[in-house]
Amino acid sequence: MWNPSKSVRLSSICTKIAIVLVICAAFAMPNLIATYVSYTGKDPEIIHSLLLTVYACVLPGMLSLICLGMLLSNIRREEVFVEKNVKLLRALSWCSFVVSVILFISGFYYILFVIIAVCAAFLGLILRVIKNVFEQAIVIKRENDFTI
Amino acid sequence: MIVVNLDVMMAKRKISAGELADKIGITPANLSILKNNKAKAIRFSTLEEICKVLNCQPGDLLEYRKGEQEDE
Repeated sequence: MWNPSKSVRLSSICTKIAIVLVICAAFAMPNLIATYVSYTGKDPEIIHSLLLTVYACVLPGMLSLICLGMLLSNIRREEVFVEKNVKLLRALSWCSFVVSVILFISGFYYILFVIIAVCAAFLGLILRVIKNVFEQAIVIKRENDFTI
Repeated sequence: MIVVNLDVMMAKRKISAGELADKIGITPANLSILKNNKAKAIRFSTLEEICKVLNCQPGDLLEYRKGEQEDE
């Protein structure tokens, strides 16, 4: 029977798979980009710029996945409305904004990155709002815990 | 701030924290929160039970002190 515990476990497994995929993609990136450039018939000069953009995004991307993993392990321990989760959500939000800035700058040589930059910024904003909700929830929980 | 004078009433009635917690139906940990003025609020039902057990009025337990700030 499907339940919230299994759902969190599935999310945790997906996060771990994503971490492995990002690491594999980081190693295979030069070949992947070279294949993409030759397939689309773009100027081979763009390869170095694309690699720079992708590798610049890997660091905040990995940090986001690690934060997600920590967030999920906290949820599994039934520590949901706690300060450390607010810090993790704040870090996730900032990672999205960093990726957004990197991709927006990269949009000057490859316009498609601007679309992803807007998506990343929007995601960062959503995460920021969720972080604000968690902050308020912690206050309400504290009130509730200390109501005898 | 509102001060809970539960310890004073408990001393007057010569009742222990464990016994009171048992009679009210709350955990000793929650009674300790109440006794040490760490509580943010008290339910009417809890107040009623305390008054019933200690045979007192809510005013005997709660006191308003002007100018004192609540510890965060």
